[in-house]
Amino acid sequence: MSWNFERVAGPYEGPGGGLAWDGSGMLFSAVGEGRILRFDPATGSVVELRRHTHRTNGIALGPDGVLYGCQEFGRRIICFMPDGSAKPAAYKLDGHFHNYPCDLAIDRTGGVWFADPHYPRPIPGPQIFPPLDHASVLCMERVPRHEWELRRVTYDTRAPRAVLLSADEQTLYVAEGEAGRSGPRELRAYPVREDGSVGPYQTLHTFGTDHLGEQRGIEGMCLDSDGDVVACGGWRRNGPGALIYVFSPSGAVIGTHPAPADMPMRCAFGDADLGSLYVTAGDGCLYRATATGLRGNVRGPFRS
Amino acid sequence: MDIDVVSEELLRLVDSRPPLDCIATGLSFGEGPVWDRRKGQLFWVDIIGSRIWKWKPGVGREVVIEPTGHANGMTFDRQGRLVVAGWSARTIWRVEHDGSITTLVTHYQGKKINTPNDIVTRSDGSIYWTDPPNGLIFPGMVPADAQQYIDVHGVYRLSPDGKEVSLVIGDDVYPNGIAFSPDESLLYVNNSMHVQHIRVFDVHADGSVGPGRLFHKMTGKEPGGADGMKVDVEGNLYCTGPGGIHVINPEGKLLGRLLIPGHCTNMAWGDDDGCSLYITTFHEVYRTRVKVPGVAVW
Repeated sequence: MSWNFERVAGPYEGPGGGLAWDGSGMLFSAVGEGRILRFDPATGSVVELRRHTHRTNGIALGPDGVLYGCQEFGRRIICFMPDGSAKPAAYKLDGHFHNYPCDLAIDRTGGVWFADPHYPRPIPGPQIFPPLDHASVLCMERVPRHEWELRRVTYDTRAPRAVLLSADEQTLYVAEGEAGRSGPRELRAYPVREDGSVGPYQTLHTFGTDHLGEQRGIEGMCLDSDGDVVACGGWRRNGPGALIYVFSPSGAVIGTHPAPADMPMRCAFGDADLGSLYVTAGDGCLYRATATGLRGNVRGPFRS
Repeated sequence: MDIDVVSEELLRLVDSRPPLDCIATGLSFGEGPVWDRRKGQLFWVDIIGSRIWKWKPGVGREVVIEPTGHANGMTFDRQGRLVVAGWSARTIWRVEHDGSITTLVTHYQGKKINTPNDIVTRSDGSIYWTDPPNGLIFPGMVPADAQQYIDVHGVYRLSPDGKEVSLVIGDDVYPNGIAFSPDESLLYVNNSMHVQHIRVFDVHADGSVGPGRLFHKMTGKEPGGADGMKVDVEGNLYCTGPGGIHVINPEGKLLGRLLIPGHCTNMAWGDDDGCSLYITTFHEVYRTRVKVPGVAVW
């Protein structure tokens, strides 16, 4: 079944960022413009939901109705509150400032799992606190008598780019690796133990290297109702191209679809039937394919 | 201390080997130095440490206010009260003579201001400050509410009666350091993000300013950038920049640089003759000497 993508918003400055379905509209981050926007499929209109987000990339709605964002330049998870304020969440891991979060997933208890890679370029402003000596998946949880507490989840990642929890939350999918940064680009599945730690991972998919260089891996993922992983990956520079992959939980490639633009960034299911896939891309646009034949498994306070 | 002589004119202002004394170490992010010439003591902030320090020659240093909400620039008003650019507190506040705190400004046109960075008072009692947004972003300087509500990164003025806040400059990218010329007819504002330059504005009688003119573009590749800025009695401008402190004459020409170890953030004239220059860096406070005194704060 082929997917026909249409551009529904953009272009905005810089590559597109994270998405979150709020029950009737698709929130998406225009990272380079420091804005979070909302596309209303009923009217086709786009409104500004939040400005001055300071490079907030991945976004997700928590069960508490708060919109959580990965504020890369602030080196923190930020909570966009319903009253319009923005509350910084925990930002230190064992007393040290963590790195530059780019993607997140929220579990049913409200725990925020996020990819915390290093940033490839110097960021503006005084660099007082060095990045961590590792780039891991971290988890932020509410604990008694403290607002939030951070813990390290992965100990074997070098450049995590995207995270996703399975429907039963017993598997953490991690998109590891960034092309050009000398590490594997893989889709990994980590079993989540009862205590929230993870066991040894399985590699579900590996992206290769050829005479044109390393192939780009996965930048964003979402889950469908069958438990399959829908992932944005690749680029036109080499390899099989810019694709939307559908992986089974065991890593079998169930299908691929040409991405609507180069450098597909992140994706999310939306619309009334949760059967449309929205994709942000390197050209700064938001795209949508309706009637994908899939149905999204959408987290957050809203379920269609 | 080494200096980088671009023009021989610099040597009329500083010795060829000026001293450099370390006053304090162990700071997380030194800033906001201001000299209390009545009592002969220096104040400065540690932004990340959220403290205001006081240091008196021959006595030493002590914390006088903690926490400060990550306060940044400081100056004195005409009554000798410490006036503070609140940075992550998102306020302008004042320390009264009895030690109590008075909040002077929180909002502009009903919106919470960004993060006041540096501050200067004028002889009529008005207060000017720069208001970039980066105190909402930088790690270690976390406000309770990190949402930016005002689109412009402005320079504001609080009227002498403390009742009116006005936007005097609204076209800057990242206004940071701020200083008046000795006769207060000119206002210098530097920009420290995306472009590193200093602009100069004519100050009108009502306290507003005219259009900005490019005064000086910062040069150098060493660590450091346009940040704190002060003026001597002849109108020479001292501005932090790559490598240390850049000395710029009233025509905007770079005379040379004072090469300071560490990343310079700001400076203050001090001591009885006004010829000491107290310099904050991220982690230290230094003192050097110059030949032409600075404009006294109070």
